[in-house]
Amino acid sequence: MDPTTQIVNVLQAATVLLLSPLLAGIAGRIKGLTESRVGPPILQPYYDLAKYLRKETLVPAGSSRLFLLAPFVAFGAYLVISVVVPIITPYPLPYASTVDFLGGGLLFGLAGLVTLLAALAAGSNYTALGASRTVSFSALGEPTLIMIFFGVAVITGTNNPYVTNNLLASSFSAYLSPTHLLVVAAFFLLLLAETGKLPVESSGLMEFGMLEDGRTFGHSGRLLGLFRWNGWMKQFLLYSVFVNVFALPWGMSDAVSLPGALENIALLLGKLLLVVGVVAGVEATLAKVRLFKIRDFLALSFSLAILSIFVFVVVGVP
Amino acid sequence: MLPTSDVEALVGLGILLTALYLQSESFVGPLVDAIALQSLLVSVLLGYLAWVDDDPSLALLAGLAVAIRVLLIPYVLRRQIRAFRWRFRELGASQRVASHALAAVAVAIVAWFIFQQTLGPALPALPGAAFPFVLLLEGLLMLSTRTNTLVQVMGYLEEENAVVYAGALFAGGFPLFLEVVIFLDVLGVVLVAVILSIQRSVVGAPEEEYLEELTG
Repeated sequence: MDPTTQIVNVLQAATVLLLSPLLAGIAGRIKGLTESRVGPPILQPYYDLAKYLRKETLVPAGSSRLFLLAPFVAFGAYLVISVVVPIITPYPLPYASTVDFLGGGLLFGLAGLVTLLAALAAGSNYTALGASRTVSFSALGEPTLIMIFFGVAVITGTNNPYVTNNLLASSFSAYLSPTHLLVVAAFFLLLLAETGKLPVESSGLMEFGMLEDGRTFGHSGRLLGLFRWNGWMKQFLLYSVFVNVFALPWGMSDAVSLPGALENIALLLGKLLLVVGVVAGVEATLAKVRLFKIRDFLALSFSLAILSIFVFVVVGVP
Repeated sequence: MLPTSDVEALVGLGILLTALYLQSESFVGPLVDAIALQSLLVSVLLGYLAWVDDDPSLALLAGLAVAIRVLLIPYVLRRQIRAFRWRFRELGASQRVASHALAAVAVAIVAWFIFQQTLGPALPALPGAAFPFVLLLEGLLMLSTRTNTLVQVMGYLEEENAVVYAGALFAGGFPLFLEVVIFLDVLGVVLVAVILSIQRSVVGAPEEEYLEELTG
């Protein structure tokens, strides 16, 4: 591995680590503006993180070691994903060949699983309720994710995100193929579900509709800080994959070089801002409905993902 | 410029998505908008093919489709909804969004298999050749699963859209006379449905209790 590649590799991981709170801060600010209020400062997630890391960590009596280990395992999983997907370069970095879309999905699944187990290990009824709700809806989201992988695979003949990025960026016909458009739509709906942006749930702590935050009720201090950071990294990674691989694959500088990588980071931030704006628009314009309506939402996403395969069989990719 | 097959496939995708939406929406107002959009997409396809093939009869059909299916029929249906507020939503359908959406996908897949075994070999091998047949069965599904008269009329309109869509793809447009008859036929069906629903609301429907026995 040459030094430039190593630097770009480290830079990509650092981008995800350091810019993910910023993206969350921007999203919070934009959401505030769409709700006719000032909203928190853009740097608020960094302040929160600093506060969590200074706070004392309390461990419930009777909890297992998993309660302590889970935030670190999930953090490691997201860190691995950050060096295997195209974020600041379309050129495959050294570890890119270790996993494909399915492998990435399994790593996301691992992070989600240990977070759930940690919620159960806390021994609280509230965290168990959060875990139960999350599992109920994840069970509907996972088939959609698998169908999206199939959709990508039939377009490109492979399950590698770098190949997908290259094909879609170079072929406008493939980009405009009905299969790809449906995969983008299904992935966007799933993105909303996975990042807690559904108009059916609340990301706060005081609502019956909470899903994600219900799982971390038992954690505090540094462990809670890590969980929060994990959530921001997950959002950053999913948004990055969505824009760089599926929705807006164009514009990234091809060569593996430091200036090219920095240019790509600026471009990525622009693309992410666009997605954050769209998501904020979705959150602001759709009325909040009941919790069990998530089932309908995910069924629609699943239907679109299946249709993408169906349309491929009927029409094919140009 | 995109090849004709790509344009046909993209318009076909739009038509398929409107069919999926029609199956899973329970409010009648948005359904009228969706059926108007679906008709507009069919009209766009007709207009595009008229431009590519330089065929004035297809252009005339596109114009007729816009005038009757996109503007006139949705206008009549919207007036009907305004006149009978209670019919604005099909009660109960909102609880079945997930099952309706999945049923629509399942019907699409079954329709494709049937098409491949029956009509497919006899028709030109166009990309998206099965879409009109899929749309036809989606319309049938809507007719059979909905209980609101206006929504059932929209299922019928969807079937008629499928016929025109098939005509545009395979027959270069049917002979103009036949197409005009189909358009007027649809208009007639809508007017009859409106009159029947007014009659039901005024004098009641004595056969309703017998029909309800068939809902299972």
